[in-house]
Amino acid sequence: MSDIVVKNGLDIPIAGAASGDIQDLPLPETVAYSPTEIRGFTPRLVAREGDEVKVGSPILLHKPHPSVVLRSPVAGRVKEVRRGHRRVITDYVVERHGDAQEQLRAVALADIQGLARDEALELAASSGWWPTIRQRPLSVMADPTVAPQAIVIAASETGPLQPSGPQLIGDNDGDALQAAIDLLRAATGAEVHLTRLKAESIPAVESAERVTHHTFSGPHPAGDPSLQINLICPPKGSGVVWFLRAWDAVSLGHTILTGSFHATRVVAAVGAGLQTPRLVRTVVGAPLKHVAGQAKSEARWIRGSVLTGESVDADRWSGLYSRAVHVLPEEVKRDILGWALPQLGKWSFHKAFLRGFIGAGSPVDLRPGIYGGHRAIVPVGAYERVVATPDILPEFLFKSIVARDLEESIQLGLLDFTEEEAALCSFICPSKIDFDLLLREGLDLYVQEA
Amino acid sequence: MQKALEQVFDGLRPRFEKGGPLEWAWPMFEGAETFFLTPGEHTHKGVHVRDHMDMKRLMILVLYALLPTILIGWWNIGMQAYAAEGVVATPVEALLRGGVAMLPIIITSYTAGGIAELVFCIVRKHEINEGFLVTAMLFPLTLPPSIPLWMVAMGIVFGVVIGKEVFGGVGMNILNPALTARAFVFFTYPAFISGAKVWDAGGQGNSHIVSDLFGYGAPAVEGYTGATPLLAAASGEPGADAVALVEANGWSYMDMFVGTIPGSMGEVSALGALLGALFLIATGIASWRIMVGCVAGAVAMAAVLNGVAGPESVSMMSLPPHYHLVMGGFAFGTVFMATDPVSSANTQTGRLIYGFLIGVLVVLIRVVNPAYPEGMMLAILFMNVFAPLIDYFVVRRTTRRRAARLAAAA
Repeated sequence: MSDIVVKNGLDIPIAGAASGDIQDLPLPETVAYSPTEIRGFTPRLVAREGDEVKVGSPILLHKPHPSVVLRSPVAGRVKEVRRGHRRVITDYVVERHGDAQEQLRAVALADIQGLARDEALELAASSGWWPTIRQRPLSVMADPTVAPQAIVIAASETGPLQPSGPQLIGDNDGDALQAAIDLLRAATGAEVHLTRLKAESIPAVESAERVTHHTFSGPHPAGDPSLQINLICPPKGSGVVWFLRAWDAVSLGHTILTGSFHATRVVAAVGAGLQTPRLVRTVVGAPLKHVAGQAKSEARWIRGSVLTGESVDADRWSGLYSRAVHVLPEEVKRDILGWALPQLGKWSFHKAFLRGFIGAGSPVDLRPGIYGGHRAIVPVGAYERVVATPDILPEFLFKSIVARDLEESIQLGLLDFTEEEAALCSFICPSKIDFDLLLREGLDLYVQEA
Repeated sequence: MQKALEQVFDGLRPRFEKGGPLEWAWPMFEGAETFFLTPGEHTHKGVHVRDHMDMKRLMILVLYALLPTILIGWWNIGMQAYAAEGVVATPVEALLRGGVAMLPIIITSYTAGGIAELVFCIVRKHEINEGFLVTAMLFPLTLPPSIPLWMVAMGIVFGVVIGKEVFGGVGMNILNPALTARAFVFFTYPAFISGAKVWDAGGQGNSHIVSDLFGYGAPAVEGYTGATPLLAAASGEPGADAVALVEANGWSYMDMFVGTIPGSMGEVSALGALLGALFLIATGIASWRIMVGCVAGAVAMAAVLNGVAGPESVSMMSLPPHYHLVMGGFAFGTVFMATDPVSSANTQTGRLIYGFLIGVLVVLIRVVNPAYPEGMMLAILFMNVFAPLIDYFVVRRTTRRRAARLAAAA
């Protein structure tokens, strides 16, 4: 048990939070996976266009390790396999009809600890939820053939407008979470760390056993598992550390305990572009509009958060990893002589604005504007204030990436630095530099050379 | 009003965009548009929302921070010019006369520098860097009020081109552009920027058509020395008390703090710099570490020199630490020049070291080097060159600490 306070970071006070009870939605007409969002997953079709599938039927498998599969969230027919550039599968769409269930192996909670290592690994890999387990460095899907040094299960979330642990994990999810913990322990022999936010109470998480508990407090990215790994158990040498979200562990656990694929999940529809932001209970891969309804005006649809989420067409689906659909109004207002005026109403991270000085007060209707010209880095010492990973000098790391000096980048922490932190640097940058894209560029270069 | 502006710019834009007849003038169009209206550009990749902070705001806030310095300097120029003529002037008269001396210099700096900046933007096809707004204001403030306008123009063009643009613009430069400009004038035309004859508006270099127009420029009265306090403190016999030398000219500590002394247009008032410093630190624009480092370095070095001063040592050796802080360009340089985020050290620890060494060097140059009574410009430029080296050591220390933390395989 440790209690970690994160000092650096930023909670962006963006408007459009979901509140109220969780609404149960009817099953959607179509569901889809986007294999492109699962980095490290090389899909091969198991069920082809036109094939009939049941709930839990394997539909895609991971070529290098075929027991890793994605399972259909609904029963029906494979409607369409959409392909993009170089024929990568962008959307694998299943049209729903009927409710046939594929029977998977069920294991009682008490028996999971006794499973042999290979058996446990096979069970986890084939559960349909394996892709939600990722590994640091690189944040790619966990490689089942390499044992991790540790596993972090995060019941915390601090991203802007992302649903919180208590909203996503119910009181009766305790057994499922414990099942996932025991399964991962049996499969790897690694120590499992379970993290949550200090301010939140999640009984199902607090009562978990055979884990090391950690609580975090502080601004975003305090709830980000990648950052938490850096603070609890950074990968040493050439080792890897696995991480997943506790709510995904719950889905994994339910699937193992019941022997039926547990596709149900809670998703938040958020953002100022919606009439009423809400929390809904639906299935993984539900269409964005099924989850969120209609946008009020022209809007940008984002899977996940405004920091690290992906902007997708409104007619697509909600994705595997994120538990939020953010509908961001697209219109950007311009101001006359904005740079020279006090701009008392504008919130900013920087104290150069009055409301940066005294705080935002109430949530702010942020829009997708750049609000400035693109310039070279002028290091005003601001980036350090949103970077929580220790021993990182953000400006120097970015410059080494731009110079494509891989060795220097690695020394400066290219592999520890987290996506959320890079995104926060982009958000606050007065020179409007895309540090999140730069980080990706650096990591791509690393993968290329390695 | 806003609708009309947006329509005007939207209507003009196609002519300046790629393929339009005025494509070469895109930086001018972009500069004009973003002067009047905040950019309407949408994020299209990466993080979806961005902070309202931008470079224009950062730079304009530095100008706001300079206002007390500019106003006190402005008024003081008039006061000093009348004092040289032996006249006791009212504040209004002082402001009028100060304005006549100061405004042409500032306007020249902006015009000449602006043309150089614009030419480079067009040739290099980059957007106009608003950092120029600050550079072109800082530079004239480091000059004596009698400086000929053509030297101002030469200086700022040198500063903009050699100090900044040849490296690729703001963010890429090694030296502070405003100080580069001043160093150029200082070494090229030393008689017009140092000595005892240049510090009142009617002094040696004065060739202002404007001030003749207003009928200013009576000869200085007999007995007026025109020296700055630093010059006065340095000009005593060995063993003389520096404070007494300063006070012999009628300047109290308070005079030097407020800025009613001869000197460069913006450097005279420590009070003005202090107000600017408070604003810059509160708004998070300038590094307090650099400022604290400068003050600590100067105080430490001056205290050491005071300690070793003997009866045969030069008079400056006996100048107490707190006098160094209000004399010459120390306060102005500490607050506005040393803190330039681009040319200073970029690590937090590095900023402290960088500041400290500037403080040490200033006092060393002032006291030990007989050729230069003032050392702020040289100290800052010197440390600008060394800032990357300081950063190098801080970065290496950080990466070593990182490696040590991650080394032991679990």
